[in-house]
Amino acid sequence: MRTVQAAEKMHGGNGGIWRRTGMKTVHWNKLSVILSMKWRTQFSKNFIAMPLFSVGLTFVMTLFYGSMAKSNGKALDDSVRGVALSLGALMNTTMTGILCTGMALAEEKEKHTLRALMTSSVNGLEFFLGSTLPVAAMILIVNVLSVPAAGLRPSAAAWAMWLGVSVLCAIASTVLGMIFGICCKSQVSASTLISVPTLVLVMVPVFGEFSGFMEKASGFLFTGVLSKAAAALAADTPRVDGFGLGVIGAEILLAAAVFVALYRENGYEKE
Amino acid sequence: MAKEYIRLEHISKKFGEATVLRDLNAVLHRGEILGFLGPSGAGKTTTIKILTGQLKPTSGDAYVLGIHVEKIDETIYEQIGVVTDQSGVYERLTVYDNLKFFARILGVPGERIEELLKRVGLYEHRKKPAGKLSKGQAQRLVLVRAVLHRPRVLFLDEPTSGLDPSTALDIHRLLEELREEGMAIFLTTHNMEEATKLCDHVALLNDGQIVEYGTPEELCLRYNQDKRYRVLLSDGSRLLLGQEAEDVGRLSRLLQANQVNSLHSCEPTLESVFLTVTGRALG
Ligand SMILES: Nc1ncnc2c1ncn2[C@@H]1O[C@H](COP(=O)(O)OP(=O)(O)OP(=O)(O)O)[C@@H](O)[C@H]1O
Ligand SMILES: [Mg+2]
Repeated sequence: MRTVQAAEKMHGGNGGIWRRTGMKTVHWNKLSVILSMKWRTQFSKNFIAMPLFSVGLTFVMTLFYGSMAKSNGKALDDSVRGVALSLGALMNTTMTGILCTGMALAEEKEKHTLRALMTSSVNGLEFFLGSTLPVAAMILIVNVLSVPAAGLRPSAAAWAMWLGVSVLCAIASTVLGMIFGICCKSQVSASTLISVPTLVLVMVPVFGEFSGFMEKASGFLFTGVLSKAAAALAADTPRVDGFGLGVIGAEILLAAAVFVALYRENGYEKE
Repeated sequence: MAKEYIRLEHISKKFGEATVLRDLNAVLHRGEILGFLGPSGAGKTTTIKILTGQLKPTSGDAYVLGIHVEKIDETIYEQIGVVTDQSGVYERLTVYDNLKFFARILGVPGERIEELLKRVGLYEHRKKPAGKLSKGQAQRLVLVRAVLHRPRVLFLDEPTSGLDPSTALDIHRLLEELREEGMAIFLTTHNMEEATKLCDHVALLNDGQIVEYGTPEELCLRYNQDKRYRVLLSDGSRLLLGQEAEDVGRLSRLLQANQVNSLHSCEPTLESVFLTVTGRALG
């Protein structure tokens, strides 16, 4: 069963297998086996912490803001719920997306299971999809669950916008995760390398609330667009401006280009 | 003549300036075991990586199941099995789940897993997380994984290194059975005894060059020019005699005087052949 035809044939480097097995075709039976294994991995204790923490964060922040509002004798404003949603969604999209994807790839290399997969007739594209799709699915589920956790009841249009932006951000962050995974040989090096850019991606939109400069910078990050989308969902003004979509699109393309360049050099390994 | 499964023609490999393999030639047929023997750094793993499409040769040609190594893609792995020192297991999955995972990727029915687990004595450990296995058990697990799909060619990189003799024997037994079933096995080792016992042909590899190639018996005989005899005398003393006229005369006098208790010819082992050819011991 060969369904997806490849654009590229791989060249160069010494990392034969990945170059040679290339990114050509997807055998659905192989992909589904990898997907189900990786989906189960999402629930192992190393990986499930991030999604749980993210929903929990939104929920706890909503409770916290709520009790503050109550002590001032007011009801909790939806825009504040939007802030709580944004916080959880940011954590989830970056931590789950980049950290879990990158760590999982680093672990496959550290434990030599990646080579075992590749010498068991799995190709680079099957491995890529098998590694990223379950994480992307987890990101989506958590971003969806975070909405009721923030006590929001959006309209259908707002839901559609939220899902759309979440899907795009999930793609961006999982590809970023694969890039970091390629650059790391072990889980330890992955967790240190990944933590800094992840922090930037989370913190810039968060501080955008307080600083004009940060708010501008945030406009150029896909996480900034996600944060705005959370606010728009809370205000029930489901719009993403063209600039925001352009930012996410450009960042996905850039990440994909970097990924392909690295992959062409030496597959999922870096010497 | 059995079908030819692997052919190496003038294979060389350089890493930058360093030449790691020089002009390797060899063939492996169906139902045979070919051993690449050599000390650490000789180029054994590099050879396996080239033959399994994980490295590109710098020059020369090699064919696996008739396919040029530079043309092979991932579908080749449906017909070959590979075990290198870089063949890992999913430590959080159980022994059985590890095999089930790879069996599903390769389209192998579940009964094959049970059969193989029983054959290598891992059946009672099938519910253990693979990360908790001993070295010998883990080695058997990766071996089982590599033969799940009944590959026509099996590549093994030092399958018994670091194992106790009885586990090594279990593995030898399995390899002999697989050969009986027609599998061709390409193995590397620095264990001479293993090579002598298992291999139909051996290539002695030193500094990336094949310095000798043949059956273990051929090689031992070829280096048996300088025949020596170990003589145990009736007074309990020992002598080592060669074929020089002086020694021969002495031996016949001792025999006539009925002073010889036992007489042995000293066949060289592959180990001593290696030492003679390269002037260095196996690491
Ligand atoms: N990727 C690489 N880059 C540079 N040199 C390499 C590379 N891989 C192997 N070598 C060199 O090639 C030579 C042969 O290595 P190889 O791993 O094939 O030896 P080996 O016979 O398998 O040894 P051992 O018994 O220790 O496993 C060594 O000198 C090694 O340092
Ligand atoms: Mg080696």
